[in-house]
Amino acid sequence: MQRLLLIAAVLVAGCSKGPEADLQYISKARSLGAEWALVNEQSSAGKLTENYTQSMREAVREQLKTASSSLTQPNSDYAGEIGALLAEPDDATPAQLRAHADKLKRIEDSLESA
Amino acid sequence: MNPLELTLGIMTAVGGFVDISELVFAAKAGSMFGYALIWVFVVATIGIMVFGEMSGRVAAVAKQPVFNLMRHRLGLKLGLVTLLASLIANLITCAAEIGGVAFVLNYLTGAPYMLMAIASTAVLMASMWILPFKWIERTYGLLGLFMIVFLVALVAIKPPWHQLAGGFVPHIPHGLSTKELLIFAYYMVAIVSAVMFPYEAYFYSSGGIEEKWAPKDLPMNRITCTVGFGLGSLLSISILASSTQLFMPANVGPELLGSSALEAAIPFGTTGLLLALAGMLFAISGAAIETCMANAYSLCQFFGWEWGRQRKPWQAPRFTVAWIGFFLLALAIILTGIDPMNLVEYAVLFSILVLPLTYLPLLLLAGDPSYMGQYANGPVGKTFGWLYFTIITVAAIGALPLYVITSGGQG
Repeated sequence: MQRLLLIAAVLVAGCSKGPEADLQYISKARSLGAEWALVNEQSSAGKLTENYTQSMREAVREQLKTASSSLTQPNSDYAGEIGALLAEPDDATPAQLRAHADKLKRIEDSLESA
Repeated sequence: MNPLELTLGIMTAVGGFVDISELVFAAKAGSMFGYALIWVFVVATIGIMVFGEMSGRVAAVAKQPVFNLMRHRLGLKLGLVTLLASLIANLITCAAEIGGVAFVLNYLTGAPYMLMAIASTAVLMASMWILPFKWIERTYGLLGLFMIVFLVALVAIKPPWHQLAGGFVPHIPHGLSTKELLIFAYYMVAIVSAVMFPYEAYFYSSGGIEEKWAPKDLPMNRITCTVGFGLGSLLSISILASSTQLFMPANVGPELLGSSALEAAIPFGTTGLLLALAGMLFAISGAAIETCMANAYSLCQFFGWEWGRQRKPWQAPRFTVAWIGFFLLALAIILTGIDPMNLVEYAVLFSILVLPLTYLPLLLLAGDPSYMGQYANGPVGKTFGWLYFTIITVAAIGALPLYVITSGGQG
């Protein structure tokens, strides 16, 4: 019986759709936004090399695109927020980027508590 | 015991301890659960010390590599299943390591990632062809000591030491929701798997045979495993602790391999960044070679073919073709465009499933006086051996459901 319950839980987790299934991508996008902000902050303080900064920004953008395209609800508010983050220029200020990350964090928290 | 050899052996073990999976999981664990998972690193490190020492002792006394034992102890069918599973686990790990090397080179030079993957594979293959066994191990292990910058960076950012020390005490944080508890459990399993990767035992024991260890080398084996792996684990714990201090308050996951290097850049600027990237480059490169060689060792030992880097490449042709083939296969996986960070997750998952089958024959042989004579496991070795076998078996049973339910620790 326990084994059946476990298999059912695994299947439900694997096949779910909607905000619950998107939570992992929202969390990923939030973290990427915060990483981007940290990179830009340290870069403007002269603590990073040009190559590193550029490569990290490209990687963040690439991962954000993947997270965005994996969402099951492309018209949701969180999809819009990830889109807005992606629209930021490479050298956006840390405050701008953190504002997106914070907003995604609030969405993430509200979905988790729902 | 030659003190120089011993020091070099320990330093090599320290520099070669951390690989891409430990970098990824240590940084993520710190940002997600603070210092609470430090004790899991400690528990897993004692585990790899126990089995590492055992595999070195078996190599020195019985002169038996792990996969030879496996075939005799598990029988042909189960042995073959274990061989296939470990080949796949090591191949995925090797691909993840090559991807990791390519990323680090991309951060250092700005050159395209795919090009760096091809170039780094070529350099790794060339170094394997040219360098003698001892120098393959030592070159990457010793250059991996640049990773010490992570330990120095942790001291520089002045963490709350009393809280950090609390992480060494086994506990589960209070107030976690069911979902967070499941993610915590997933990270426990992943850290055990990342620290106790099966390739480490294959490589270590085969290396012992390559270097013609004898019972006189047993004290060196014991010290290298305990001191070397112990100090190596401190580097992983430093990455976790810096992540707690720097990434957790900033809401950083971290999702990118390069983010770990920020831990050294924040206190030390570009010097810290470059040292961290250099350490990561050599540590991950060393792990790529070890996983590839572990696969070639396993395959040849299982089928009784000539093996070893002490021989000229043409004197062990199947072994040579095997390691070249595994390197090219790993590169082909990376060239499909799959994200190495995802590969790390799969590698950790696959490895934990193989772990009990890998360590069981070793445990049986190390405790068998008919093979090991006076060097067979004593009461302490048996107790620790079976305790850790139970831990990895429980982890192996829980790994797949936890991975699916938590979407690979993402929630």
